[in-house]
Amino acid sequence: MALHDPQATLDPAALVRSDAVHRSVYTDPAVFDLEMARIFGRAWLYLAHDSELPAPGDYVVRHMGTQSVILTRDKDGAVKAIHNRCSHRGATLCAFRKGSAPHGHQCPYHGWMFEPDGALRFIPWHQGYEGQFDKSEMGVAQVRLETYRGFIFGNLAGEAAPPLDHFLGHMRSTIDDLVDRSPTGRVECGPYVLRHYYRANWKMTFENLNDTIHPGFAHAASVVSAKSVAQTLERREDLAPTLGMMLANGKPVQFFQDLDMITAPGGHSYIGGHMGADYSPDTQDAYTRALIDFHGPDKARDVLRVDRHLMLLYPSSFWHARYQTVRILRPVRHDLTEMIGFVFRLVGAPDETYRNAVEYCTGANSAASPVISDDLEIYERCLLGNAQGPREWVPFSRGAHEDRERTNAFTRTPATSEAYIRNQFAAWSDYMGRA
Amino acid sequence: MIDDGEVSRLVHLEARLLDDQRFDEWIALFTEDCRYWVPGHPEMSDPTEGPSHFHDDRQLMRARTHRLANPRAFGAEPAPRTAHVVSGILAEERDGAVVATSSQIMLEWRDRDGFEADKRLFGGRVTHRLRREDGVLRIAEKRVDLIDAEAAFNAMAAPL
Repeated sequence: MALHDPQATLDPAALVRSDAVHRSVYTDPAVFDLEMARIFGRAWLYLAHDSELPAPGDYVVRHMGTQSVILTRDKDGAVKAIHNRCSHRGATLCAFRKGSAPHGHQCPYHGWMFEPDGALRFIPWHQGYEGQFDKSEMGVAQVRLETYRGFIFGNLAGEAAPPLDHFLGHMRSTIDDLVDRSPTGRVECGPYVLRHYYRANWKMTFENLNDTIHPGFAHAASVVSAKSVAQTLERREDLAPTLGMMLANGKPVQFFQDLDMITAPGGHSYIGGHMGADYSPDTQDAYTRALIDFHGPDKARDVLRVDRHLMLLYPSSFWHARYQTVRILRPVRHDLTEMIGFVFRLVGAPDETYRNAVEYCTGANSAASPVISDDLEIYERCLLGNAQGPREWVPFSRGAHEDRERTNAFTRTPATSEAYIRNQFAAWSDYMGRA
Repeated sequence: MIDDGEVSRLVHLEARLLDDQRFDEWIALFTEDCRYWVPGHPEMSDPTEGPSHFHDDRQLMRARTHRLANPRAFGAEPAPRTAHVVSGILAEERDGAVVATSSQIMLEWRDRDGFEADKRLFGGRVTHRLRREDGVLRIAEKRVDLIDAEAAFNAMAAPL
């Protein structure tokens, strides 16, 4: 069921130029409301992994933009999603973030009981409604789901949305990259997630995470501090992985200029090439042997050769396939955003592989991460700063004439380009321009 | 035999050194193989089970506190001030080690826009696993179980 479209008095087309965006897209609550209806109300949003709901009755509560939805595995093994709202007085049905409801979801107010697919099972004191309405019309609205390799996506636009496959396009290959790294072909979501938030617009994260110029400045202090500790170590291999992550921010700009950035229709992007990986299990002999046993040597080599740093799946998730970490973005208000980090276990891989992924997620998604805490500060300063002074346009023209390759599926540019931001706003304009 | 006074002095000193930003002395209270851990969930029994807010070894403790003194560490510009309140210290022996638990609250202030959000409260149960080395009682592990461990946090620069 499509969300209500606020009768927009603003004209989204007037807010985006080919080389810049109007600052109000970060600061105006009316823009945010329209984004929730037209972008988060239409795009496929990653919600949960199949392994989070192992048994019938298991449920998780997730957000689609500002909408709270409940995903429940039904008694036939299918996962269904419904809005977290009782169809009677409107109370939310679930208060916990996850749990088990084998008998359905019961509203705490008057005890109305709903099936995983939202069907109304019973109403206490139903005789009071005799002749008033048909129970089959009083279910909770369902949300359309589709799954790719165990990853469950939802779409609030229902049947009006194109298939998930069409939305993912070339970016399917990053999800393949994550799953194919498993020596059993299976991945499992870890039992714990890690959250942080910041007081600024949701788009800041999308526009920062593939930005390769900022680390040398925003994260300069982390580089200096990690170096000061590294210098005191007798052996380089004694360096803790998180310090390696801090040091990586000090790579010269030319390193990133030589890497590729891939942008694809829908606002998606990733950085690829010879990025290398400090946390990757690639170098672990036991892991590599297990992968060769499963895939054979040729396929295993191809799997390990994929070197993608971070895929941004616009507008709501971030995929670090090589470190088995996926992050979901939850926009709360125009000036408040939550990020939720999930770690995946490559089933059959040595324990060390999962430990590496856990350390990576801690470094990448903790509010206390020496790297992330600087990013959050910058996001918040941009919110404050964009309200100041007469300059109204935010340029994103870096690398505008440096495209390396164009195909129907993607465009390849240097990784220093802001092509990914231009690509995000092309998608933004497309979503926002349709009433 | 546990010396309650000795344990209590160590737990209080550890908090005081953080508040005074005497980080080298703070780290010197810990063993070489120490762990400083703030789990992302109260049910975690080991930091390898899932991601954490802090999961530091001595290297990361050094890098983190070195960073706090750097004027270009934007997440800590200006650096936060903290005040720890330490209460209810109980020392006991577990598996041959001395374990001290305490209730702690850390009040933090960082000058940003001058209003309420600049001041934050963190709190919960702190567990110090202690070990005697060369006659000196040191911290082998400090675990901080925030009462809201599963919640989303905004940037944290000061160790809890």
